[in-house]
Amino acid sequence: MRTVLIPASVLTFATLMASGVEAHHSFSMFDRAREEVVVGEVVRWGFNSPHVLLYLVDADGTQWGFEGAAPAAILGRDPGMNGFTLRPGDAITMVHCPLHDGRAGGAIGLVITGDGTVYNPSDGGCAASRRTEEWPGWIDMGFASRAEAEEALGIDSEEQDPD
Amino acid sequence: MTVRKQVFASIVLLLAGAAGGAMAQGVPEPMEPPRNFETSQEHYDFLFETHAGGTRHTYESVPKWEGLWSGGGNGSRGAFVQEGELVEGVLTPEYAAAFRMRLDLIEEHGEQAYDRLTACEPAGYPRFLMEPYVREFVNTPDQAWQLNDLANENRRIYIGQEHRNVDGTHFPLGDAVGFWADDMLIVHTVDVYPNDWFRGLPPTSNQFESVEIWRMENFANGDQRLVVNATFYDALSLAEPLTLTYTYRRRNDLENVGFRIRHWECDTNRNTYLTDDGQTQFLLPGDEGYFDVRGPRETPDLPADLPGQERNPIFDDRVR
Repeated sequence: MRTVLIPASVLTFATLMASGVEAHHSFSMFDRAREEVVVGEVVRWGFNSPHVLLYLVDADGTQWGFEGAAPAAILGRDPGMNGFTLRPGDAITMVHCPLHDGRAGGAIGLVITGDGTVYNPSDGGCAASRRTEEWPGWIDMGFASRAEAEEALGIDSEEQDPD
Repeated sequence: MTVRKQVFASIVLLLAGAAGGAMAQGVPEPMEPPRNFETSQEHYDFLFETHAGGTRHTYESVPKWEGLWSGGGNGSRGAFVQEGELVEGVLTPEYAAAFRMRLDLIEEHGEQAYDRLTACEPAGYPRFLMEPYVREFVNTPDQAWQLNDLANENRRIYIGQEHRNVDGTHFPLGDAVGFWADDMLIVHTVDVYPNDWFRGLPPTSNQFESVEIWRMENFANGDQRLVVNATFYDALSLAEPLTLTYTYRRRNDLENVGFRIRHWECDTNRNTYLTDDGQTQFLLPGDEGYFDVRGPRETPDLPADLPGQERNPIFDDRVR
């Protein structure tokens, strides 16, 4: 049996898939290299299979749309989430990986509620969920994106996120 | 060694390997068939004869596998890609070339740009074995039902029966028959659509068939898992029959937090679509063609203001 080398990005993809973050569709529409903050009020927390949906409206009145993991995955996380965790009108801070095409939406990374709880309803579309320790502090410091925070704090993103 | 002893030894090794794997939380090594078979039918017939036609269970005696389960690891990916290298000699040259084409596109886009599940196509078999999410397994004397959260795919294995195909076509999950050998379920599957092993893995052909051996393991600490030793036959896509192991673990944790399998609403996926250039994209509220999956049902034959037609009467979560 012989083997041939395959590209690094394929390995990254394979690692993602092997780590249990599969979804039923591709994440290629999301820019997973970017993690950005949106603050707003929940319009809808759709706790449905195969992907939860989170719509919120920001201070400018723009409605944003995000998707995350399947309910079965989110229920078992710490802290767990269910269909009542977020309600219309709740004020939240969202970290997401935006759509490549610039529309107001993306893949859910983290959700921080008004009491400071950090939830991770993320699917494989956004790896901000790996930075549950860093993001609350970055938000407190006023950073609106991972790139902004890492540049200001002198963090080498490749060291932090080898994928 | 007689054939029956070979089979018995294989089973003992399979179970020993499986138990050891469970303790180490690894996936048991696959157990190759006791000898080479030309076809899956020959393999299945051999097992059927070896077990003298199998065990005829009653409702009381049939193994009980009810409860919630999810994937507990498998050897599917490693069969095709190992330590960063594409394994050669597993696929036929034509299917290896097809898989390389898929890998090249993954390299270009960072991920397989489109998954046929996006348009609500079924995962089908053998992908059914590997899909994540939550499952239930219900055994009766005459059928074994394997229910998958994903895409509402329900696999029926007809116990002690012959294959039937009155449909004149193949099917996403094929046609599956089987028999019990004490607490082991042995399954033969034929007539399968061309599918994928998984997103990012090779395709299969419409000649794909298999023989599976299922068994539940109970561990001293109360853990349970199902182990499947499956041998796949596909003269068009596989250079030779391929044997892999799949496992499923009990999810008491999900039961404890109140999870129940709900209908997979593929409607929620109507906003995700294949673009003209072969990419995946999705629509947001306000985009042309956006479908509000949680809004009022589309019932053009009913009054538009008919009360009680919101899908979610718990919250007022209308999108703009």
